[in-house]
Amino acid sequence: MVEDPEIIIRRWFVAESFIAVGKSLERVDSIEKVLGRARFVEDFFEEGFLVARLALARIPHARIRKISYDHILKNPKVHQVLTYRDIPGENQVGYAIPDQPLLAERKVRYYGEPVAVVVGRDPDTVNSAVEEVVLDVDPLPALYNSLEAMERQDILVHEALGTNIAFKTRVRKGDVDSGFSKADVVVENTYRTHHQEHAYLEPEAALAIPDLENRITVIATIQYPHLGQKIVAKVLGIPSSYVKIVAPYIGGGFGGKDDEGPLVAARAALAAYHLRRPVLLYYTREDSMQIHPKREATVIRYKSGATQDGKLTAIEVTIVHDTGAYANRGPFILWRATMHSSGPYYVPNAKIDGYCVYTNKVPQGSFRGFGNPSVQFAAEAQMDQLAEKLGFDPIDLRLINMLRPSSETITGQMLMSSVGIYDALKKLASESNWRIKRRMYEESRAGRFRRGIGVAVGWHGNSTSRAVPDWSNSYIHISRDGSVSVYTGIVEIGQGSPSSSHRQLVAEVLGCPFEKVNIVFGTTDAPDTGATHASRGTSVGAIGILVAAGKIRSRLESFLAEYFNVQKEEIKMSSGEVVVGDKVKMKWEELIALAYSKGVDLSATGYFFLPKGVFNDEVGQGFAYPAFSFIAVVAEVEVDTFTGKVRVLEVHPALAVGKVINPEAVKTQVEGAIVQGLGYTLMEKLVISEDGRIINDNLTDYVIPTSHETPVIREAIFVEDLWEYGPFGAKGVGEMAFIPMPAAIANALSHALGIRVTELPLTLDKVYSLTRDSSR
Amino acid sequence: MYYSIPKVEYYRPKTLEEAIELLLNIEGSKIVAGGTDLLVDIKTSRAKVRALIDINSIAELRGIVDAGEFIRIGAATKLQEILESHTISENLPLLRAAIESMGSWQIRNLATIGGNLCTASPAADTAPPLLAYDAELTIAGRSGLRVVPVSKFFTGYRKTAIGYGEILKEIVVRKSNWTKWSYVKLGRRGGFTLSIVAVAVTAKISNSVVEDIRIALNSVAPTPIRAYRAEEVLRGKKIEMKLVEEAARFVAGEVSPIDDIRSTSWYRREMSHRLTLDTLSRALGVE
Repeated sequence: MVEDPEIIIRRWFVAESFIAVGKSLERVDSIEKVLGRARFVEDFFEEGFLVARLALARIPHARIRKISYDHILKNPKVHQVLTYRDIPGENQVGYAIPDQPLLAERKVRYYGEPVAVVVGRDPDTVNSAVEEVVLDVDPLPALYNSLEAMERQDILVHEALGTNIAFKTRVRKGDVDSGFSKADVVVENTYRTHHQEHAYLEPEAALAIPDLENRITVIATIQYPHLGQKIVAKVLGIPSSYVKIVAPYIGGGFGGKDDEGPLVAARAALAAYHLRRPVLLYYTREDSMQIHPKREATVIRYKSGATQDGKLTAIEVTIVHDTGAYANRGPFILWRATMHSSGPYYVPNAKIDGYCVYTNKVPQGSFRGFGNPSVQFAAEAQMDQLAEKLGFDPIDLRLINMLRPSSETITGQMLMSSVGIYDALKKLASESNWRIKRRMYEESRAGRFRRGIGVAVGWHGNSTSRAVPDWSNSYIHISRDGSVSVYTGIVEIGQGSPSSSHRQLVAEVLGCPFEKVNIVFGTTDAPDTGATHASRGTSVGAIGILVAAGKIRSRLESFLAEYFNVQKEEIKMSSGEVVVGDKVKMKWEELIALAYSKGVDLSATGYFFLPKGVFNDEVGQGFAYPAFSFIAVVAEVEVDTFTGKVRVLEVHPALAVGKVINPEAVKTQVEGAIVQGLGYTLMEKLVISEDGRIINDNLTDYVIPTSHETPVIREAIFVEDLWEYGPFGAKGVGEMAFIPMPAAIANALSHALGIRVTELPLTLDKVYSLTRDSSR
Repeated sequence: MYYSIPKVEYYRPKTLEEAIELLLNIEGSKIVAGGTDLLVDIKTSRAKVRALIDINSIAELRGIVDAGEFIRIGAATKLQEILESHTISENLPLLRAAIESMGSWQIRNLATIGGNLCTASPAADTAPPLLAYDAELTIAGRSGLRVVPVSKFFTGYRKTAIGYGEILKEIVVRKSNWTKWSYVKLGRRGGFTLSIVAVAVTAKISNSVVEDIRIALNSVAPTPIRAYRAEEVLRGKKIEMKLVEEAARFVAGEVSPIDDIRSTSWYRREMSHRLTLDTLSRALGVE
């Protein structure tokens, strides 16, 4: 019997033929979702439950004198108003730095910060009651500009820290001075990128149901049930084991519910804890947009040098992230941005400094790409400018410097395998007719409508950064009728991992019928699987499933070998058919019945702790990630120089993401990310007023793309550069197509206009100004 | 369940007379048809309303009639009905083009043409075509009907010529032999969006001379506007690119745009020039 996870992973990693893996099997939840039968958090509400909303701060920076609400409690329909004083455990919920309260305490640091939970009998009551909570404050001057905030000592968002710089990162590789002295050309620019709202279909909500002995169940919009469990337990001062978190179907997250999910759960749990009744806490769209953290807004100064033959000699980069009122996951985002700042290229000399800076704005948070889209936007703009100065085709310059197996990253990590981006970009160049179109558009750069074509490359480390522990886990048991229950903490957030790829993995490894596999997802009843973020649902997140299934498969094979006295190699199990040697044939169900009667253990956990190396924070050198996913896209745009309107005509993606478990699922992720990236680049823009309020906190005024803007998206090119620890060699894919989109569109637009784009978003008025500059 | 509007009284009269009486008798009452603007305003407290008078059951306010010389459109006619009407597409192509770019199918099946006009948003999309057609609006009150040309209907930011106790009854457009038209709407995305600038042009041409022309825009002033001075530049003249350019420059002088969430004053002024140039060129067939 094989129980060693590494051996199990290896067995399926080297598999050459597949039954379920690699096929576009239909996800089981698609029809039910289309018919509106799938249940989301609000759908679990029942008559008699209480409802709650959050009272928010209406000032960006102030010291709290008093929070008054006694007048509200005179209304018998208002059951309770809860503030930081009512928290039985800890109010401190900062993920990276202990700087963030669950409910404002002593200070308010951004307009929209949650101050109180108002619980009442019905939505009408709480909707008006939240407006009546009175926050008596001493106002403080507010900071909105990250560069200014870095320098100021007189206004501090967090006084105790003595600075507004929350966190710093650095990389020191080689000697940049000597690197630049060897360069024949040097390009230097400042790039600016902006916030992005997640705009998920389903705003945040949590339904908390109290049980005996302070036990509690919370049904929540959350991306990591076990983290929610930890935070709820901490806030209530009860053991984690008393808290059960359930993530039902979730209407999108993109990282936003990784940050806000545990906090929504904890606030709802606080209400249910005090009232001893089920409470549904919900965010309206406006609440959601005011409260939850946004994509990083950045200022990036970037200098690169290269020799005449196109080789990069050095980069010097300063990255400033506006983390808003709280660090939240800002340090992790900055860390990732720093370590990816070179792009997937070999750079011998690098000096990178990152600053995560507090301001009095909505916090910075997790969003598809996690620090990478902004820094790749800068890095890829630099590559295009170097190519232009050196007289290289942009793709050729990239290929010259591209990481390949045995290359070293800017953190000095040697990548031995699973580096397929060189081949992917080469294929993309030929299949997208890059060279012909590039020349054609250059030659016809006249008239009102101008076309351009741009390329951008992106990379994204799989798993957590540095040596931060990461693992996968799952529990599987097989019932007597042969059906298979799989428990995972991975959630179904629209991506379809539990409803497609996880089933495929199990059916493949066990050889059981696909329909017999049920994935019980998004629950703390499963072992801690880690979060559904960082593109890990079908990669790192599913390793545990593979290992648990592999253990049971091995037990069944050992049992059959012994029972029928054959060699294990003579046993075949696939699609519910079991063949032992040349005589015995049986159905999967018969095998399970037999195994049950003979004492075979058909339940197993699959735990795998990812091996990692050492990282030296002083110099930013060492092991950064166990593997990288890669992508390249070619985008074509047409710009109307009359109006500044940019239309993305076509996007051609090429991915090196290891084994593709379900091509259709990957396609949907790629398409969704392309459109989301397009919206971010061209039209999405948060407008913050002088008093720090997000004024376009609704989907009329904050526009996201529709089918009208969706370009032709070509069939993706795949280079299956298998990763040794991924299930069947799979790497992460969910975030990938977003990462190069801002860069690709900006590069294509720069190509169309013959002028460099350095600032996002590319709204009509901004592009119109650019077209006027370009015609001068 | 998350959103709720404050409790209001609700009436659904069957006749226009009944609706007018309710309007006169209930202080703080407001007409609702599709509710796609009003309910949002109530939710965000921009509108304070005590009673809603739903006019969807008043038959005479609904429908499109080809009355020979005129087309009559009931104020409570749904945008989608207008979009699907042959009478409209044959006779009022500008209106059709404008409605095609409004909202989604779901919104167009609720929203009405009268509601779009009476909300009197500077960005009202049915306004530029109706201004270009010089439509007449029939307003009903206790003392009977009165007719207001659409050019006099918008009296200020979100203000109209509709008086106390009055209801917009119908929109009347005279059929014409003006065969040239062009419409363009610029928004932050391709659909389901408020305009940054929209321009509607209709013209009568004979022997390359502009016999008559009307130009109308939205989102560039407190109300949707006609660009009279630009029209004057072209009226009675032989079509020439130089004149078209001059007319478009005049438009930029007739607008008074503001900065808002959607765009800037500067950009809107630039676009009112550029897009007028664009629509005029297309309508008049000059390059």
